[in-house]
Amino acid sequence: MIKYSIKKKIIDGFTYLFLTLFSLAILLPILWVVRTSLATDVIAYQIPPKWFFTPSLENYRDLFVTNGFLRFFGNSLIISIGTTLVAIPIATLGAFAFTRFNVGGRPLQFIVLGTQMLPGIIFILPIFVIFNSLKLTDTYIGVIIAYLAFNLPFLVWLLMGFFEGLPQELENAAAIDGLSPFETFIKIVIPISAPGVMAAAVLSFILCWNEFLFALVLTGGTTNPVPVGLAAMATQRGVLIGKLSAGTTLAILPMIIISFTVRKYLVRGLTFGAIK
Amino acid sequence: MNGFFRQKRITGIRFATPMILTLALVVFIPLIFSFVVSFYRYTFINPDFNQFVFFNNFINAFRDQYFWNAMKVTFLFVGLVVPLEFIVGYSIALLLNREIKFKTVFYTILTIPMVMSPVVVGLIWKMLLHPELGIVNYFMSVLGLPYINWLGSPKTAIVTLVLVDIWHQVSFMILILLAGLSSLPKEPFEAAIIDGANGLQILLYVTTSLMKPIITVAVLMRLILAFRTYDLIYIITKGGPGISTDIISYYIYKKTFMGMDLSQASAVSYLLMLVVMVIVVILFRQMVKER
Repeated sequence: MIKYSIKKKIIDGFTYLFLTLFSLAILLPILWVVRTSLATDVIAYQIPPKWFFTPSLENYRDLFVTNGFLRFFGNSLIISIGTTLVAIPIATLGAFAFTRFNVGGRPLQFIVLGTQMLPGIIFILPIFVIFNSLKLTDTYIGVIIAYLAFNLPFLVWLLMGFFEGLPQELENAAAIDGLSPFETFIKIVIPISAPGVMAAAVLSFILCWNEFLFALVLTGGTTNPVPVGLAAMATQRGVLIGKLSAGTTLAILPMIIISFTVRKYLVRGLTFGAIK
Repeated sequence: MNGFFRQKRITGIRFATPMILTLALVVFIPLIFSFVVSFYRYTFINPDFNQFVFFNNFINAFRDQYFWNAMKVTFLFVGLVVPLEFIVGYSIALLLNREIKFKTVFYTILTIPMVMSPVVVGLIWKMLLHPELGIVNYFMSVLGLPYINWLGSPKTAIVTLVLVDIWHQVSFMILILLAGLSSLPKEPFEAAIIDGANGLQILLYVTTSLMKPIITVAVLMRLILAFRTYDLIYIITKGGPGISTDIISYYIYKKTFMGMDLSQASAVSYLLMLVVMVIVVILFRQMVKER
Protein backbone atom coordinates (compact mmCIF):
# COMPACT_ATOMS: atom_id res chain seq x y z
CA MET A 1 0.00 0.00 0.00
CA ILE A 2 2.88 2.36 0.75
CA LYS A 3 4.42 1.56 -2.62
CA TYR A 4 1.08 2.29 -4.26
CA SER A 5 0.78 5.73 -2.68
CA ILE A 6 4.34 6.67 -3.70
CA LYS A 7 3.54 5.69 -7.25
CA LYS A 8 0.36 7.77 -7.13
CA LYS A 9 2.31 10.77 -5.83
CA ILE A 10 4.78 10.50 -8.70
CA ILE A 11 1.99 10.34 -11.27
CA ASP A 12 0.25 13.27 -9.57
CA GLY A 13 3.50 15.22 -9.72
CA PHE A 14 3.81 14.57 -13.45
CA THR A 15 0.18 15.54 -14.00
CA TYR A 16 0.60 18.91 -12.30
CA LEU A 17 3.94 19.53 -14.02
CA PHE A 18 2.62 18.85 -17.53
CA LEU A 19 -0.67 20.64 -17.07
CA THR A 20 1.18 23.68 -15.71
CA LEU A 21 3.62 23.65 -18.63
CA PHE A 22 0.84 23.34 -21.22
CA SER A 23 -1.19 26.06 -19.52
CA LEU A 24 1.80 28.39 -19.54
CA ALA A 25 2.37 27.62 -23.23
CA ILE A 26 -1.16 28.83 -23.94
CA LEU A 27 -1.25 31.72 -21.50
CA LEU A 28 2.17 33.36 -21.95
CA PRO A 29 1.85 34.29 -25.66
CA ILE A 30 -1.54 35.88 -24.96
CA LEU A 31 -0.26 37.75 -21.90
CA TRP A 32 2.77 38.93 -23.87
CA VAL A 33 0.51 40.46 -26.50
CA VAL A 34 -1.57 42.19 -23.80
CA ARG A 35 1.68 43.50 -22.27
CA THR A 36 2.90 44.80 -25.64
CA SER A 37 -0.43 46.50 -26.25
CA LEU A 38 0.23 48.62 -23.17
CA ALA A 39 3.76 49.62 -24.22
CA THR A 40 4.79 52.70 -26.16
CA ASP A 41 6.43 52.11 -29.55
CA VAL A 42 9.95 52.56 -28.17
CA ILE A 43 9.40 49.86 -25.53
CA ALA A 44 7.42 47.56 -27.85
CA TYR A 45 10.32 47.34 -30.30
CA GLN A 46 13.01 46.83 -27.63
CA ILE A 47 15.00 43.57 -27.65
CA PRO A 48 16.00 42.51 -24.99
CA PRO A 49 12.57 43.46 -23.70
CA LYS A 50 11.99 45.90 -20.91
CA TRP A 51 10.13 44.09 -18.13
CA PHE A 52 8.80 46.99 -16.10
CA PHE A 53 7.32 50.12 -17.56
CA THR A 54 4.43 52.47 -16.94
CA PRO A 55 1.52 51.11 -18.98
CA SER A 56 0.17 53.48 -21.59
CA LEU A 57 -3.10 53.43 -23.50
CA GLU A 58 -1.50 55.22 -26.45
CA ASN A 59 -1.90 52.18 -28.77
CA TYR A 60 -5.58 51.88 -28.00
CA ARG A 61 -6.12 55.59 -28.56
CA ASP A 62 -4.23 55.48 -31.89
CA LEU A 63 -6.20 52.44 -32.93
CA PHE A 64 -9.49 54.29 -32.57
CA VAL A 65 -8.36 57.74 -33.64
CA THR A 66 -6.08 57.04 -36.63
CA ASN A 67 -6.87 53.47 -37.69
CA GLY A 68 -10.67 53.69 -37.57
CA PHE A 69 -10.93 50.67 -35.32
CA LEU A 70 -14.29 51.82 -34.01
CA ARG A 71 -15.71 51.28 -37.49
CA PHE A 72 -14.27 47.71 -37.71
CA PHE A 73 -15.66 46.99 -34.28
CA GLY A 74 -19.07 48.38 -35.18
CA ASN A 75 -19.10 46.47 -38.46
CA SER A 76 -18.27 43.24 -36.66
CA LEU A 77 -21.13 43.86 -34.23
CA ILE A 78 -23.64 44.69 -36.98
CA ILE A 79 -22.66 41.65 -39.07
CA SER A 80 -22.49 39.16 -36.18
CA ILE A 81 -25.71 40.29 -34.48
CA GLY A 82 -27.50 40.72 -37.81
CA THR A 83 -26.61 37.22 -39.00
CA THR A 84 -27.60 35.68 -35.67
CA LEU A 85 -30.96 37.48 -35.59
CA VAL A 86 -31.81 36.31 -39.09
CA ALA A 87 -30.46 32.78 -38.62
CA ILE A 88 -32.03 31.86 -35.26
CA PRO A 89 -35.73 31.90 -36.29
CA ILE A 90 -35.03 30.10 -39.58
CA ALA A 91 -32.82 27.53 -37.85
CA THR A 92 -35.23 26.81 -34.95
CA LEU A 93 -38.08 26.20 -37.41
CA GLY A 94 -35.82 24.04 -39.59
CA ALA A 95 -34.42 22.03 -36.70
CA PHE A 96 -37.96 21.45 -35.38
CA ALA A 97 -39.05 20.26 -38.84
CA PHE A 98 -36.17 17.80 -38.86
CA THR A 99 -36.64 16.40 -35.36
CA ARG A 100 -40.45 16.25 -35.15
CA PHE A 101 -41.55 15.83 -38.76
CA ASN A 102 -38.43 14.19 -40.21
CA VAL A 103 -38.68 16.38 -43.31
CA GLY A 104 -36.58 15.03 -46.17
CA GLY A 105 -35.29 12.22 -43.95
CA ARG A 106 -31.62 11.43 -43.48
CA PRO A 107 -30.57 12.46 -47.01
CA LEU A 108 -31.68 16.07 -46.56
CA GLN A 109 -30.19 16.22 -43.07
CA PHE A 110 -26.94 14.93 -44.47
CA ILE A 111 -26.91 17.59 -47.20
CA VAL A 112 -27.49 20.31 -44.61
CA LEU A 113 -24.65 19.07 -42.41
CA GLY A 114 -22.36 18.12 -45.28
CA THR A 115 -22.41 21.51 -46.96
CA GLN A 116 -21.50 23.26 -43.73
CA MET A 117 -18.39 21.12 -43.39
CA LEU A 118 -16.99 21.85 -46.84
CA PRO A 119 -14.16 24.36 -47.16
CA GLY A 120 -15.46 27.94 -47.34
CA ILE A 121 -13.38 28.71 -50.41
CA ILE A 122 -15.71 26.46 -52.46
CA PHE A 123 -18.72 28.68 -51.70
CA ILE A 124 -17.14 32.07 -51.66
CA LEU A 125 -16.03 32.11 -55.31
CA PRO A 126 -19.52 31.71 -56.82
CA ILE A 127 -21.10 33.82 -54.06
CA PHE A 128 -18.68 36.61 -54.89
CA VAL A 129 -19.50 36.50 -58.62
CA ILE A 130 -23.26 36.37 -58.03
CA PHE A 131 -23.24 39.08 -55.33
CA ASN A 132 -20.98 41.26 -57.44
CA SER A 133 -23.49 41.24 -60.29
CA LEU A 134 -26.30 41.98 -57.81
CA LYS A 135 -24.27 44.87 -56.32
CA LEU A 136 -24.33 43.15 -52.93
CA THR A 137 -20.58 43.27 -52.26
CA ASP A 138 -19.47 45.73 -49.58
CA THR A 139 -22.99 45.85 -48.11
CA TYR A 140 -24.10 44.57 -44.69
CA ILE A 141 -27.03 42.71 -46.26
CA GLY A 142 -24.67 40.91 -48.63
CA VAL A 143 -22.33 39.70 -45.90
CA ILE A 144 -25.20 38.70 -43.63
CA ILE A 145 -26.85 36.63 -46.40
CA ALA A 146 -23.52 34.98 -47.23
CA TYR A 147 -22.83 34.18 -43.56
CA LEU A 148 -26.08 32.20 -43.46
CA ALA A 149 -24.35 29.65 -45.71
CA PHE A 150 -22.26 28.33 -42.83
CA ASN A 151 -24.22 29.66 -39.86
CA LEU A 152 -27.60 28.17 -40.67
CA PRO A 153 -26.49 24.52 -41.02
CA PHE A 154 -24.41 24.88 -37.86
CA LEU A 155 -27.39 26.17 -35.89
CA VAL A 156 -29.81 23.60 -37.32
CA TRP A 157 -27.56 20.77 -36.19
CA LEU A 158 -26.98 22.27 -32.79
CA LEU A 159 -30.68 22.91 -32.20
CA MET A 160 -31.67 19.45 -33.42
CA GLY A 161 -29.66 18.12 -30.49
CA PHE A 162 -31.67 20.28 -28.07
CA PHE A 163 -35.06 19.43 -29.53
CA GLU A 164 -34.32 15.70 -29.49
CA GLY A 165 -33.78 15.96 -25.73
CA LEU A 166 -37.16 17.62 -25.03
CA PRO A 167 -39.97 15.50 -23.57
CA GLN A 168 -42.72 15.04 -26.13
CA GLU A 169 -45.57 14.71 -23.60
CA LEU A 170 -45.96 18.50 -23.36
CA GLU A 171 -46.34 18.86 -27.09
CA ASN A 172 -48.82 15.98 -27.24
CA ALA A 173 -50.87 17.57 -24.43
CA ALA A 174 -50.83 20.90 -26.27
CA ALA A 175 -52.08 19.17 -29.44
CA ILE A 176 -54.94 17.58 -27.46
CA ASP A 177 -55.80 21.02 -26.06
CA GLY A 178 -56.29 22.13 -29.65
CA LEU A 179 -53.11 24.12 -30.26
CA SER A 180 -51.89 24.09 -33.86
CA PRO A 181 -48.35 22.80 -34.47
CA PHE A 182 -47.12 26.36 -34.96
CA GLU A 183 -48.78 27.57 -31.74
CA THR A 184 -47.27 24.59 -29.90
CA PHE A 185 -43.88 25.54 -31.30
CA ILE A 186 -44.16 29.20 -30.23
CA LYS A 187 -45.92 28.71 -26.86
CA ILE A 188 -44.42 25.43 -25.63
CA VAL A 189 -41.24 24.41 -27.45
CA ILE A 190 -39.47 27.77 -27.65
CA PRO A 191 -40.00 28.74 -23.98
CA ILE A 192 -38.72 25.41 -22.61
CA SER A 193 -35.74 25.32 -24.96
CA ALA A 194 -34.89 29.00 -24.39
CA PRO A 195 -31.53 28.32 -22.65
CA GLY A 196 -30.45 26.11 -25.55
CA VAL A 197 -31.55 28.66 -28.13
CA MET A 198 -29.71 31.42 -26.24
CA ALA A 199 -26.53 29.32 -26.15
CA ALA A 200 -26.89 28.64 -29.87
CA ALA A 201 -27.21 32.38 -30.48
CA VAL A 202 -24.03 33.10 -28.51
CA LEU A 203 -22.10 30.40 -30.40
CA SER A 204 -23.41 31.79 -33.68
CA PHE A 205 -22.22 35.26 -32.65
CA ILE A 206 -18.71 33.92 -31.88
CA LEU A 207 -18.62 32.04 -35.19
CA CYS A 208 -19.49 35.21 -37.14
CA TRP A 209 -17.15 37.41 -35.11
CA ASN A 210 -14.20 35.15 -35.92
CA GLU A 211 -15.00 34.58 -39.60
CA PHE A 212 -12.40 35.81 -42.05
CA LEU A 213 -12.50 34.40 -45.60
CA PHE A 214 -16.06 35.46 -46.51
CA ALA A 215 -15.45 38.88 -44.97
CA LEU A 216 -12.15 39.29 -46.83
CA VAL A 217 -13.82 38.63 -50.17
CA LEU A 218 -17.19 40.33 -49.66
CA THR A 219 -16.51 43.39 -47.53
CA GLY A 220 -14.86 46.65 -48.51
CA GLY A 221 -13.93 49.98 -46.98
CA THR A 222 -17.33 50.61 -45.39
CA THR A 223 -18.14 47.13 -44.09
CA ASN A 224 -14.76 45.59 -43.09
CA PRO A 225 -15.06 43.73 -39.77
CA VAL A 226 -12.29 43.41 -37.17
CA PRO A 227 -10.38 40.40 -38.62
CA VAL A 228 -10.12 42.02 -42.06
CA GLY A 229 -9.12 45.34 -40.51
CA LEU A 230 -6.41 43.67 -38.42
CA ALA A 231 -5.10 41.69 -41.41
CA ALA A 232 -4.84 44.90 -43.42
CA MET A 233 -3.00 46.64 -40.57
CA ALA A 234 -0.54 43.75 -40.41
CA THR A 235 0.55 44.29 -43.99
CA GLN A 236 0.72 48.09 -43.86
CA ARG A 237 4.14 49.72 -43.41
CA GLY A 238 5.98 46.92 -41.68
CA VAL A 239 4.87 45.58 -38.33
CA LEU A 240 2.96 47.91 -36.05
CA ILE A 241 3.57 45.71 -33.03
CA GLY A 242 1.97 47.96 -30.39
CA LYS A 243 -1.19 48.79 -32.29
CA LEU A 244 -1.61 45.25 -33.62
CA SER A 245 -1.32 43.92 -30.09
CA ALA A 246 -3.98 46.33 -28.92
CA GLY A 247 -6.27 45.32 -31.80
CA THR A 248 -5.68 41.64 -31.12
CA THR A 249 -6.49 42.11 -27.45
CA LEU A 250 -9.73 43.86 -28.32
CA ALA A 251 -10.64 41.11 -30.78
CA ILE A 252 -10.21 38.23 -28.34
CA LEU A 253 -11.26 39.62 -24.95
CA PRO A 254 -14.99 39.91 -25.68
CA MET A 255 -15.01 36.35 -27.08
CA ILE A 256 -13.23 34.88 -24.06
CA ILE A 257 -15.65 36.63 -21.72
CA ILE A 258 -18.86 35.68 -23.50
CA SER A 259 -17.65 32.13 -24.09
CA PHE A 260 -17.86 31.59 -20.32
CA THR A 261 -21.63 31.89 -20.55
CA VAL A 262 -21.81 28.95 -22.97
CA ARG A 263 -19.04 26.70 -21.58
CA LYS A 264 -21.54 23.87 -21.06
CA TYR A 265 -22.64 23.96 -24.67
CA LEU A 266 -19.22 24.33 -26.28
CA VAL A 267 -18.65 20.61 -26.86
CA ARG A 268 -22.06 20.18 -28.40
CA GLY A 269 -21.52 23.22 -30.57
CA LEU A 270 -18.16 21.99 -31.79
CA THR A 271 -19.41 18.55 -32.76
CA PHE A 272 -22.76 19.67 -34.17
CA GLY A 273 -24.48 17.76 -31.41
CA ALA A 274 -22.67 14.49 -32.14
CA ILE A 275 -21.29 14.40 -28.60
CA LYS A 276 -23.43 15.62 -25.72
CA MET B 1 -55.29 8.02 -41.16
CA ASN B 2 -53.68 8.76 -44.51
CA GLY B 3 -54.99 12.29 -44.30
CA PHE B 4 -53.43 12.70 -40.87
CA PHE B 5 -49.98 11.74 -42.14
CA ARG B 6 -50.35 13.94 -45.18
CA GLN B 7 -51.33 16.82 -42.91
CA LYS B 8 -48.27 16.14 -40.75
CA ARG B 9 -45.98 16.09 -43.77
CA ILE B 10 -47.31 19.42 -45.00
CA THR B 11 -46.87 20.98 -41.54
CA GLY B 12 -43.27 19.73 -41.47
CA ILE B 13 -42.52 21.15 -44.88
CA ARG B 14 -43.98 24.51 -43.79
CA PHE B 15 -41.59 24.57 -40.83
CA ALA B 16 -38.66 23.71 -43.08
CA THR B 17 -39.45 26.09 -45.94
CA PRO B 18 -37.51 29.18 -44.75
CA MET B 19 -34.43 27.02 -44.14
CA ILE B 20 -34.65 25.23 -47.48
CA LEU B 21 -35.17 28.48 -49.40
CA THR B 22 -32.27 30.22 -47.65
CA LEU B 23 -29.91 27.30 -48.19
CA ALA B 24 -30.95 27.08 -51.83
CA LEU B 25 -30.04 30.73 -52.21
CA VAL B 26 -26.69 30.75 -50.41
CA VAL B 27 -25.49 27.17 -50.82
CA PHE B 28 -27.02 25.28 -53.72
CA ILE B 29 -27.29 28.01 -56.37
CA PRO B 30 -23.64 29.03 -55.81
CA LEU B 31 -22.53 25.37 -55.95
CA ILE B 32 -24.45 24.77 -59.18
CA PHE B 33 -23.05 28.00 -60.61
CA SER B 34 -19.45 27.00 -59.95
CA PHE B 35 -20.13 23.48 -61.23
CA VAL B 36 -21.31 24.93 -64.54
CA VAL B 37 -18.45 27.43 -64.60
CA SER B 38 -15.91 24.63 -64.24
CA PHE B 39 -16.91 23.34 -67.71
CA TYR B 40 -16.64 26.71 -69.41
CA ARG B 41 -13.92 29.19 -70.13
CA TYR B 42 -15.14 31.87 -67.72
CA THR B 43 -12.79 34.57 -66.44
CA PHE B 44 -13.31 37.96 -64.84
CA ILE B 45 -12.04 39.54 -68.05
CA ASN B 46 -14.40 37.47 -70.16
CA PRO B 47 -17.33 36.62 -67.86
CA ASP B 48 -19.74 34.73 -70.10
CA PHE B 49 -20.75 31.22 -71.00
CA ASN B 50 -19.87 31.04 -74.72
CA GLN B 51 -16.89 28.68 -74.59
CA PHE B 52 -17.77 25.19 -73.43
CA VAL B 53 -14.49 23.35 -72.81
CA PHE B 54 -15.57 19.96 -71.43
CA PHE B 55 -13.01 18.71 -68.91
CA ASN B 56 -10.23 21.06 -69.99
CA ASN B 57 -10.21 22.97 -66.70
CA PHE B 58 -9.75 19.74 -64.79
CA ILE B 59 -7.09 18.48 -67.19
CA ASN B 60 -5.27 21.81 -66.94
CA ALA B 61 -5.34 21.53 -63.16
CA PHE B 62 -3.73 18.10 -63.32
CA ARG B 63 -1.08 19.49 -65.65
CA ASP B 64 -0.32 22.44 -63.36
CA GLN B 65 2.72 21.79 -61.17
CA TYR B 66 1.48 24.45 -58.69
CA PHE B 67 -1.71 22.45 -58.23
CA TRP B 68 0.32 19.37 -57.31
CA ASN B 69 2.46 21.47 -55.01
CA ALA B 70 -0.67 22.78 -53.29
CA MET B 71 -1.99 19.23 -52.91
CA LYS B 72 1.34 18.13 -51.46
CA VAL B 73 1.41 21.04 -48.99
CA THR B 74 -2.22 20.40 -47.99
CA PHE B 75 -1.79 16.68 -47.39
CA LEU B 76 1.51 17.24 -45.55
CA PHE B 77 -0.10 19.87 -43.30
CA VAL B 78 -3.25 17.86 -42.62
CA GLY B 79 -1.25 14.64 -42.20
CA LEU B 80 0.93 16.32 -39.56
CA VAL B 81 -1.51 18.44 -37.57
CA VAL B 82 -4.31 15.91 -37.12
CA PRO B 83 -2.29 13.04 -35.56
CA LEU B 84 -0.14 15.42 -33.50
CA GLU B 85 -3.14 17.32 -32.19
CA PHE B 86 -4.81 14.04 -31.33
CA ILE B 87 -1.76 12.74 -29.40
CA VAL B 88 -1.24 15.99 -27.47
CA GLY B 89 -4.96 16.55 -26.95
CA TYR B 90 -5.64 13.02 -25.76
CA SER B 91 -2.69 13.14 -23.34
CA ILE B 92 -3.90 16.39 -21.83
CA ALA B 93 -7.48 15.12 -21.66
CA LEU B 94 -6.30 11.99 -19.81
CA LEU B 95 -4.35 14.13 -17.32
CA LEU B 96 -7.33 16.45 -16.83
CA ASN B 97 -9.60 13.46 -16.24
CA ARG B 98 -7.62 12.43 -13.13
CA GLU B 99 -8.73 13.59 -9.71
CA ILE B 100 -6.65 16.72 -9.32
CA LYS B 101 -6.89 20.17 -7.78
CA PHE B 102 -7.38 23.30 -9.90
CA LYS B 103 -9.04 21.23 -12.62
CA THR B 104 -11.31 24.09 -13.69
CA VAL B 105 -8.38 26.49 -13.81
CA PHE B 106 -6.35 24.23 -16.10
CA TYR B 107 -9.38 23.42 -18.22
CA THR B 108 -10.33 27.07 -18.63
CA ILE B 109 -6.84 28.13 -19.66
CA LEU B 110 -6.27 25.21 -22.01
CA THR B 111 -9.51 25.83 -23.89
CA ILE B 112 -9.09 29.58 -24.39
CA PRO B 113 -7.68 29.23 -27.95
CA MET B 114 -10.95 27.55 -28.97
CA VAL B 115 -12.75 30.88 -29.13
CA MET B 116 -9.88 32.75 -30.82
CA SER B 117 -10.01 33.23 -34.58
CA PRO B 118 -7.16 31.89 -36.74
CA VAL B 119 -6.53 35.51 -37.81
CA VAL B 120 -5.77 36.57 -34.26
CA VAL B 121 -3.70 33.46 -33.56
CA GLY B 122 -1.75 34.10 -36.76
CA LEU B 123 -1.09 37.72 -35.83
CA ILE B 124 0.07 36.81 -32.32
CA TRP B 125 2.57 34.23 -33.56
CA LYS B 126 3.71 36.36 -36.46
CA MET B 127 4.70 39.02 -33.94
CA LEU B 128 6.29 36.57 -31.49
CA LEU B 129 8.27 34.83 -34.25
CA HIS B 130 9.36 38.00 -36.05
CA PRO B 131 13.03 37.55 -37.13
CA GLU B 132 14.33 40.73 -35.43
CA LEU B 133 11.59 41.94 -33.10
CA GLY B 134 10.22 38.59 -31.98
CA ILE B 135 10.44 37.54 -28.38
CA VAL B 136 10.80 33.80 -29.10
CA ASN B 137 14.27 34.01 -30.63
CA TYR B 138 15.35 36.32 -27.82
CA PHE B 139 14.39 33.74 -25.20
CA MET B 140 16.08 31.02 -27.21
CA SER B 141 19.31 33.01 -27.26
CA VAL B 142 19.03 33.56 -23.50
CA LEU B 143 18.74 29.79 -23.07
CA GLY B 144 21.73 29.28 -25.36
CA LEU B 145 19.66 27.77 -28.17
CA PRO B 146 20.49 28.49 -31.81
CA TYR B 147 18.70 31.24 -33.74
CA ILE B 148 15.87 29.87 -35.90
CA ASN B 149 14.47 31.71 -38.88
CA TRP B 150 10.97 30.41 -38.16
CA LEU B 151 9.17 31.67 -41.22
CA GLY B 152 12.07 32.61 -43.47
CA SER B 153 12.95 29.31 -45.10
CA PRO B 154 10.66 26.84 -46.93
CA LYS B 155 11.55 23.94 -44.62
CA THR B 156 11.03 25.75 -41.31
CA ALA B 157 7.93 27.71 -42.45
CA ILE B 158 5.71 24.65 -42.85
CA VAL B 159 6.90 23.19 -39.52
CA THR B 160 6.24 26.53 -37.81
CA LEU B 161 2.71 26.62 -39.24
CA VAL B 162 2.09 23.10 -37.97
CA LEU B 163 3.25 24.13 -34.49
CA VAL B 164 1.07 27.25 -34.48
CA ASP B 165 -1.92 25.19 -35.63
CA ILE B 166 -1.31 22.70 -32.82
CA TRP B 167 -1.17 25.59 -30.33
CA HIS B 168 -4.52 26.79 -31.65
CA GLN B 169 -6.46 23.59 -32.28
CA VAL B 170 -5.33 21.25 -29.53
CA SER B 171 -8.08 22.77 -27.38
CA PHE B 172 -10.64 21.33 -29.80
CA MET B 173 -9.33 17.82 -29.10
CA ILE B 174 -9.09 18.41 -25.34
CA LEU B 175 -12.66 19.67 -25.16
CA ILE B 176 -14.20 16.79 -27.09
CA LEU B 177 -12.04 13.98 -25.71
CA LEU B 178 -12.42 15.13 -22.11
CA ALA B 179 -16.20 15.31 -22.54
CA GLY B 180 -16.00 11.73 -23.78
CA LEU B 181 -13.73 10.54 -20.97
CA SER B 182 -15.90 12.01 -18.24
CA SER B 183 -19.00 10.31 -19.60
CA LEU B 184 -17.54 6.79 -19.68
CA PRO B 185 -19.25 4.19 -17.46
CA LYS B 186 -17.42 3.29 -14.22
CA GLU B 187 -18.03 -0.50 -14.17
CA PRO B 188 -15.46 -1.64 -16.78
CA PHE B 189 -12.73 0.18 -14.84
CA GLU B 190 -13.72 -1.41 -11.53
CA ALA B 191 -13.77 -4.83 -13.19
CA ALA B 192 -10.33 -4.27 -14.71
CA ILE B 193 -8.86 -3.25 -11.34
CA ILE B 194 -10.33 -6.34 -9.66
CA ASP B 195 -8.81 -8.44 -12.45
CA GLY B 196 -5.45 -6.93 -11.54
CA ALA B 197 -4.84 -4.85 -14.68
CA ASN B 198 -2.12 -2.21 -14.35
CA GLY B 199 -2.44 1.44 -15.33
CA LEU B 200 -1.09 1.02 -18.85
CA GLN B 201 -3.32 -1.98 -19.55
CA ILE B 202 -6.37 -0.07 -18.33
CA LEU B 203 -5.46 2.88 -20.56
CA LEU B 204 -4.96 0.72 -23.65
CA TYR B 205 -7.66 -1.92 -23.27
CA VAL B 206 -10.38 -0.19 -21.28
CA THR B 207 -10.22 3.60 -21.70
CA THR B 208 -9.11 3.73 -25.30
CA SER B 209 -11.39 0.96 -26.50
CA LEU B 210 -14.39 2.57 -24.80
CA MET B 211 -13.35 5.92 -26.27
CA LYS B 212 -13.04 4.59 -29.81
CA PRO B 213 -16.32 6.03 -31.19
CA ILE B 214 -15.62 9.47 -29.72
CA ILE B 215 -12.00 9.42 -30.88
CA THR B 216 -13.24 8.57 -34.37
CA VAL B 217 -15.66 11.51 -34.43
CA ALA B 218 -13.06 13.92 -33.03
CA VAL B 219 -10.35 12.90 -35.49
CA LEU B 220 -12.65 12.89 -38.53
CA MET B 221 -14.02 16.28 -37.59
CA ARG B 222 -10.59 17.77 -37.10
CA LEU B 223 -9.54 16.23 -40.44
CA ILE B 224 -12.41 17.96 -42.23
CA LEU B 225 -11.66 21.28 -40.55
CA ALA B 226 -7.93 20.98 -41.25
CA PHE B 227 -8.66 20.69 -44.97
CA ARG B 228 -10.13 24.17 -44.94
CA THR B 229 -7.16 25.88 -43.29
CA TYR B 230 -6.86 29.24 -44.96
CA ASP B 231 -6.79 32.18 -42.55
CA LEU B 232 -3.62 31.09 -40.77
CA ILE B 233 -1.71 30.80 -44.05
CA TYR B 234 -3.07 34.12 -45.33
CA ILE B 235 -1.96 35.94 -42.19
CA ILE B 236 1.39 34.28 -41.48
CA THR B 237 3.05 33.28 -44.76
CA LYS B 238 0.77 34.10 -47.73
CA GLY B 239 1.84 30.73 -49.12
CA GLY B 240 5.55 31.56 -48.93
CA PRO B 241 8.48 31.54 -48.83
CA GLY B 242 8.13 30.73 -52.52
CA ILE B 243 5.27 28.23 -52.70
CA SER B 244 6.34 26.17 -49.70
CA THR B 245 3.14 26.78 -47.70
CA ASP B 246 0.74 27.32 -50.61
CA ILE B 247 -2.16 25.31 -49.19
CA ILE B 248 -5.03 24.34 -51.55
CA SER B 249 -7.54 26.96 -50.30
CA TYR B 250 -4.94 29.69 -50.74
CA TYR B 251 -4.05 28.33 -54.20
CA ILE B 252 -7.71 28.57 -55.24
CA TYR B 253 -7.99 32.06 -53.76
CA LYS B 254 -4.95 33.22 -55.76
CA LYS B 255 -6.24 31.60 -58.97
CA THR B 256 -9.48 33.53 -58.57
CA PHE B 257 -8.46 36.94 -57.35
CA MET B 258 -4.95 37.28 -58.77
CA GLY B 259 -5.16 34.93 -61.75
CA MET B 260 -8.73 36.09 -62.50
CA ASP B 261 -9.37 32.56 -63.75
CA LEU B 262 -12.66 31.56 -62.18
CA SER B 263 -13.25 28.43 -64.24
CA GLN B 264 -9.89 26.91 -63.35
CA ALA B 265 -10.42 27.80 -59.68
CA SER B 266 -13.91 26.26 -59.72
CA ALA B 267 -12.57 23.03 -61.19
CA VAL B 268 -9.94 22.77 -58.45
CA SER B 269 -12.47 23.64 -55.74
CA TYR B 270 -14.67 20.76 -56.96
CA LEU B 271 -11.69 18.42 -56.65
CA LEU B 272 -11.14 19.65 -53.09
CA MET B 273 -14.84 19.19 -52.40
CA LEU B 274 -14.65 15.59 -53.56
CA VAL B 275 -11.85 14.78 -51.11
CA VAL B 276 -13.61 16.42 -48.15
CA MET B 277 -17.00 14.94 -49.10
CA VAL B 278 -15.61 11.42 -48.74
CA ILE B 279 -14.54 12.15 -45.15
CA VAL B 280 -17.86 13.86 -44.40
CA VAL B 281 -19.73 10.73 -45.55
CA ILE B 282 -17.58 8.54 -43.29
CA LEU B 283 -18.19 10.94 -40.38
CA PHE B 284 -21.92 11.04 -40.98
CA ARG B 285 -22.20 7.25 -40.97
CA GLN B 286 -20.31 7.20 -37.69
CA MET B 287 -22.63 9.83 -36.20
CA VAL B 288 -25.75 7.97 -37.30
CA LYS B 289 -24.37 4.87 -35.61
CA GLU B 290 -23.88 6.91 -32.40
CA ARG B 291 -27.27 8.56 -32.17
